[in-house]
Amino acid sequence: MKLDHIDITILEMLKKDARISLREIARLLKVSPDTISNRVEKLTQQGIILSSTVVVDPSKIGYSFITRFGVNVKPAYATQVLEKIIKIPSVIIASKVVGSYDLVAVSVVKNFEHLCTLRDTILGMPYVEQVDLGMWIQTMEICPHYFLI
Amino acid sequence: MSDVKIDSLDIKILRMLQGDARKPFQEIAETAKVSTDTIKNRYQTMMKKGLIKGTTIVIDPKEIDQNHIVSIGISVTNPYAEQVLTSVKKITGMFAVTRAVGRYDIEAIAILRDIEQISTVKNTIADFPQVQNVDIEIWVDKPLLCPKNFEFQEDHQ
Repeated sequence: MKLDHIDITILEMLKKDARISLREIARLLKVSPDTISNRVEKLTQQGIILSSTVVVDPSKIGYSFITRFGVNVKPAYATQVLEKIIKIPSVIIASKVVGSYDLVAVSVVKNFEHLCTLRDTILGMPYVEQVDLGMWIQTMEICPHYFLI
Repeated sequence: MSDVKIDSLDIKILRMLQGDARKPFQEIAETAKVSTDTIKNRYQTMMKKGLIKGTTIVIDPKEIDQNHIVSIGISVTNPYAEQVLTSVKKITGMFAVTRAVGRYDIEAIAILRDIEQISTVKNTIADFPQVQNVDIEIWVDKPLLCPKNFEFQEDHQ
C-alpha cells in the first residue's frame, strides 16, 4: 500500500509516543483532527499498525537477560506451536522463520532456573522436535520500537 | 539490577497499556475504581523510575516496502567477538546486535528490504576475517507480539 507524507508522519509520531493526542499531530500537519483519526483507523484496518504497547525496561522488574529460542517442529505444525509459544508470558515476540529453525521466539529471562523451565515448556509442547538457545549478553533491551522502520 | 517496587494497581495499569497504549487514563481509572489523577501519578512515577520507557505502536514491516525481518547468528574465531560486534552494529538495517552464549557468538536481528539486501548483508558479515559462519533466518508471516509481554510481580518484601 502507498503511504503519503501524512501517513508517514502519523506513524513516526506514534512510534515515538503512542499516547500523543491526534489533535497535536493534526496541528503539526495543518490538517483537521478528523483527517488524522480517519488515517489512523485506515492504517489499523489495513494491518500496518498491528497494535500499540507500553515499553517496559525488563531489568527493572527482575529480568536479567534475553534469550532467543530457535525451535524445530514437525512439518506443518509450525502455526500451532507458534500460537502456544506466544502465550508464554515472558515471550516478547515470536515468528515463523525460514532457515535452520522453523520458529524463533525472543523472551526475557529471570535466571537460569527460569530459562530451564522455559526450555522444558517449549520442548514439552506437542510436535516440537528440538529447541536451541542463544542467551544474549550485554543487551538488556529489545523494544517493539525496534521493529519499526 | 535495581528492581522497581510495583503494586497491583501499577500492574493493572501496565497490563491495560500493554494491550492498548492509547487507552485513556480515565478508562483505566474507571476499571481500577480509582481517580484519573491517581492513574496519571502512577504512570508518571513509573516513567520517572525508568520502568516505563515510553509507548509505541507496532507496525508490520512487511506492509511497508516489503520489508523482511531476519535473525542472524554468527560464529566467530575467539577472541574476536567484540571486534566483529562493533563492525556488525554499523551495517545498515541492524536494530539489535548482541554477544550471545549458545550456538552462536553473536546474534542480531535486522530489517532488510529484499532478498538481495539479505544476501549482501550475509556476505558482508561472512567476509570479516574472524567470522567462521553466518546463519540467517527469515521471519515469515506476521511476527506475533506476546499479548502480555513480561510477567509483573508484586513486590513481595
